[in-house]
This record gives sequence, structure tokens and C-alpha cells, in this order.
Amino acid sequence: MTSAAPLLEASSLTRHYAVSRGLFRPKGLVRALDGVSFSVDEGRTLAVVGESGCGKSTLARAVTMIEKPTAGELRIAGVDVVSAASGTLKRLRPLVQMVFQNPYASLNPRKKVGTLLEEPLAISAKLGPGARRDAARAMMARVGLKPEHYGRYPHMFSGGQRQRIAVARALMLHPRLVVADEPVSALDVSIQAQVLNLLMNLQEELGIAYLFISHNLQVVRHIADAVAVMYLGKIVEYGAKDAVFGRPAHPYTRALLASTPTLDARARRQRIALKGELPSPLDPPAGCPFHTRCPHAIERCRAEVPRLEPFGVIRVACHRAAELS
Amino acid sequence: MPLVEIEDLRVEFGAEAAPVIAVDGIDLTLDVGEVVGCVGESGSGKSVTALALMGLVEFPGRVLARRLAFAGRDLLALSDAQRRALVGKDMAMIFQDPLASLNPCFTVAFQLTETLRIHGSDAERVSARLRRARALELLRQVEIPDAEARLAAFPHQLSGGMAQRVMIAMAIACNPKLLIADEPTTALDVTVQAQVLELLLRLQRERGMALLLITHDLAVVAETAQRVFVMYAGQVVETGAVPQIFEAPVHPYTQALLAALPEHNRDRARLKAIPGVVPGQHDRPVGCLLHPRCDYAVARCRVERPPLAGPSGRQARCHFPLDAEGRPTRGWRPEPKTATVEE
Repeated sequence: MTSAAPLLEASSLTRHYAVSRGLFRPKGLVRALDGVSFSVDEGRTLAVVGESGCGKSTLARAVTMIEKPTAGELRIAGVDVVSAASGTLKRLRPLVQMVFQNPYASLNPRKKVGTLLEEPLAISAKLGPGARRDAARAMMARVGLKPEHYGRYPHMFSGGQRQRIAVARALMLHPRLVVADEPVSALDVSIQAQVLNLLMNLQEELGIAYLFISHNLQVVRHIADAVAVMYLGKIVEYGAKDAVFGRPAHPYTRALLASTPTLDARARRQRIALKGELPSPLDPPAGCPFHTRCPHAIERCRAEVPRLEPFGVIRVACHRAAELS
Repeated sequence: MPLVEIEDLRVEFGAEAAPVIAVDGIDLTLDVGEVVGCVGESGSGKSVTALALMGLVEFPGRVLARRLAFAGRDLLALSDAQRRALVGKDMAMIFQDPLASLNPCFTVAFQLTETLRIHGSDAERVSARLRRARALELLRQVEIPDAEARLAAFPHQLSGGMAQRVMIAMAIACNPKLLIADEPTTALDVTVQAQVLELLLRLQRERGMALLLITHDLAVVAETAQRVFVMYAGQVVETGAVPQIFEAPVHPYTQALLAALPEHNRDRARLKAIPGVVPGQHDRPVGCLLHPRCDYAVARCRVERPPLAGPSGRQARCHFPLDAEGRPTRGWRPEPKTATVEE
């Protein structure tokens, strides 16, 4: 969206999994990510929204270089990850760090907070023990943990505090991109607000970019700069947040927005009744992946896969976007 | 006569000398055919209240109440057998994780007909054919596509939304007067959540049953319930009708919860978080339970626990309930800064 090279750039990023369907049947192919293109600029937030099974977490695994994409291009800070040698990957990995959904599961219960925070430094940075401890203490202060928490174990903390520890751990190597996979959905409302504030503050202070994966549209609307809506491994709508939320162009985005409960009785829209559930990714429908649930599907949608194409200021993958708006 | 009457309900666990208080003096009434929401954060006692009503709090948990009645019958005076005859028939409950609530070893048909075999009509109790027909009819009522084939399915073959529909079918099998739904949509996706909520409300309307909806999601309650109980640390802190309670909350906790929602904040503005956490077993405060986290707490709040007071149907547990502008009333004065420093 800007002229400078983006921090993260994916084009036609694809990740397929071969899955066994039994001894005598041919292997099935799950198209978890099917030709996804997007970019994240330095210091900005791209939110990825969608329901379970849409490929959000596979996207996170590809971007954090845990798994290699099967096709397509993924450039982090200008370097193509797909073709990179392991030495290059090792150099790139500290640039992208991750915060997981469940802070009760993502922190090793047998390690103290200090150890947890120093572990990335011990692996990736050449620092002595003293320097590591100083760095850990400085990071704890930055995320709002007290110095006396250094020697405590994760079970001694509440969910919100644990998520602070997880965020601190992700920041220890000074990443430029943090992939946050549902970072607040396991937390209560009051605690959720604390963690969201922390994430926004850290972004302003450190200039980090977020790939923010969430199913909560209210949260996304609050903190994102750009939004990508995913459905069955494909991006169906992609653009600046205000444009996507203000005038959603894809029927799926509209349905998501209409399904989200709201407190404001006056803003309550007509519910778009979306029939059925997400089809199996093993056996995706032909044509537009959404046509089985779309109230506006026509013959063309059943046969031809829509491409993600510019539509006004956003990009949308729908044959009927122009007619329906 | 209200359908459910709860007066001064207490649920404790652990040693009698130093109990863990899960529910601390709750008063709650539910009328026939009413949709009531119960909201609160984790640890606020909302689920335990429902379990106590269902008689599912097991030893060593202790349920004490001045009155715990369902349709005029005193539940605490019933024998275990009488209580079992009531639970699952006149009052039913569905839970957060439908796949954990269903038995993975048995088919949908078996689990549905089991309810009918125990609680069904005389004819249903003796005829397997009749039970199966009724099970099929129930699956159709909860809008499960291809219901006939689903009867033979095992729970692992169902998606989360389908499994929750099966749970709902089991719960409504005996035409309950009360359905308790404990976080029924929390584990589901947004579009499926909308479908399941719609289904629950349709069944509630058609059958005239009361629905107690327990959730942490204020927006879900705002869209579905007629009346709301806001719970905090085992107590009801505010009760009122929708949407008044969300437009002009009387209790500072309700106000703070609403202010913490991204929906109520400007773009990228810092959210008004509630400092601290819900008190646990060892740090239960003296005085008002909210005072360590309350913006308006003054000396009186720290020593005296406020009662649930106010006009009927709009009560709050606060010494200084908020007015329409969201400011504390009854002569509340901000304390000088030095006085608020606490050790």
C-alpha cells in the first residue's frame, strides 16, 4: 500500500497437506492455503479473520517459517523464504516471533519466567548470562511485569499476566513482525483490554508489525490497519480496515459482520442467515468456495473460481461484487 | 409464581473452616417463558449457580440456600430419586463444549433415545420404535440436515455446531420448562454461533420454556435476553432489563465491563481496562468485593459490604450507584490521593 518495500510479502502462497484416507484409498489433498497474496508494512497491523478451518493457523506457520510453503512466494524483509537455505532461514527467524492463543499451554510450567525470557537469547543471540538477565528484566518492565516476577513459575500468574509473559518472550529478540494467533480470545473482557492496550503500546514504542489472527471482528476493527478475510484457504476480501468494515463487498464478509453480536440495539442489522457450515477442506466445492452457503450464488459461481481482484480501494474475490454493492 | 426461586444461595468447596466460596448469597428468580442472561468473567460463579440449581454440585461441594425452588417445589427437600426425576425432564442444561458433553462411544441415536427411555412418556419408555421416531423428529427440530443419516453418527463425526444441536435436541427431548445454556456458543464460530442462538430463541418461543443463558459475552446477552444478572466474584452485582442495563449501568463493574469492550472505544484508542483480577480464595477483600478494582472506591467501600438494593427489577450492589450520566450518587466524594494509597 506504500511505495517502500513491505516487511512481509506473500504472493500465491500455497500450503497443501497430503492426508491419508485409509489403506486402499488414494491420499487426499487438503488445500490449507491456496494461493494467498498479501503484504504487511513495517509497524502496521494486518488482521486475518475467518472461521476455524479457513487456514489462518497454517498461514501463521508459514509466516513464522515453521513450515515451508509448497508453492508461491514469501518474502520477509526482502528475502524469499521458500527458496532460502537453512543458514538464511536461521538468520531470518528472529525477525518473526509468535504469540499463541492459550497462555496456559504456551508457557513451560517447569521454567521460571526469567528462564523463559532468556531462552531465545541463549539460542539466537551471543550474550553472556549477565547481559541476558538484564535484557529479560528490561523487557519485563516494558510489558508491565514486576521485577520480583523474575523467579516465579507460570502457574503463579493469572491469564492476563501469562499473556504478558508470552508477549515479552516474543519480543526478546527484537522482532520486526509478531504473529499473534488469537492472542486475546482465551481471556476475559477486562483482561483482554489490558493485553490489547499492551500490544498497541508496544507497536508505537518499538515500531513492530503485527499479523493479528482473530475471529473476533470487534477486536480486529479496533486494532487493525488492514484486514484479510479468509475462507477455505483463500483470501476473499482484502483491504484497508475502514474500507472493508465500512463497505464490505464480499457476501461472506457481510455475513460475518451481521453474525457478530453487538450491544448497540440501534446498529443491529438484519441478520444474514448463513446456512450450513464450512465445507470440508478435503473436499472443497468446485467454483467459488463460498457458493454452497452464499445467498447470491449463480450458475457461474458454481463453475468458475473468482480471483482476488481490485474493487474500488479494496480487493475482493466475488463474481457478483459489482452487482451486489 | 416464578418458575425458579433462589434466595441466598451459597456454594462452598473445601474445608469448612476455610471454604472456597464459589457462590456468595445469590438471589435470582426466573419466570415462565422468560429469557434471562447471566454474565460475568471466569470465576464469577455463574456456572456453579446453574450446577447448584441442577443438583450437580457433588460432594465435597456444599449447597446452602434459604430457598431453592423449581415450579414451587423445594429442591433441597427432595430425595435424590425425586430430584433425578426432575433434572433432565423439567429442567435441562447444555454446556460449552458439546463434543466433550457427548459420550464418544455411543451413536447420536443411542444418546437421544436414552433420555426418552428414562424420562419419556409411558409409550416411549416401552417402545424402541417410538423412541427412534421421536429422536428423528427432534433432530429435524434442531435443523440438522440429513437427520436420518445423523442418527447413526458418532460424536467425532459431527462438527461443533452439529454436536451442539444434538445437545440441544437431547435437552428439549422431554419438553423442559427451563433450559440452562452455559456458554452454548463460546466454542463455535461466529456464523454458527448466530445459527445456534437463533435456534435456541426459536425453540424457547415455540415451547414457552424459560431460558437461562450463561455467558461472558455481553453482546450475546444484549441481543437475546430480556433481563440480565451481572455477576462478580460469586455475587450478583447488578440486575436489570435489556437494553437499559447496557445503556445506563448502575454498578461501576457493569460500567467498567462495557468500557473495556473495543466496540465502545474509538479507533485504536487505549481501552479502559479494569486493573487487577477477580479475587480468588485467599485475597477475598473485606467490604465491597470490587473495591480493589473500582475507580470510585472510598473508605466506606473498603469496610462495609453493600447489599443488593434498588427498585425491584433494577438492583445494584453498590453504596454509590451510578446515575444516568455514569457518575456515583448519594453524596460520593472523591478521596484525596493520599487516602487511596493502601497497604
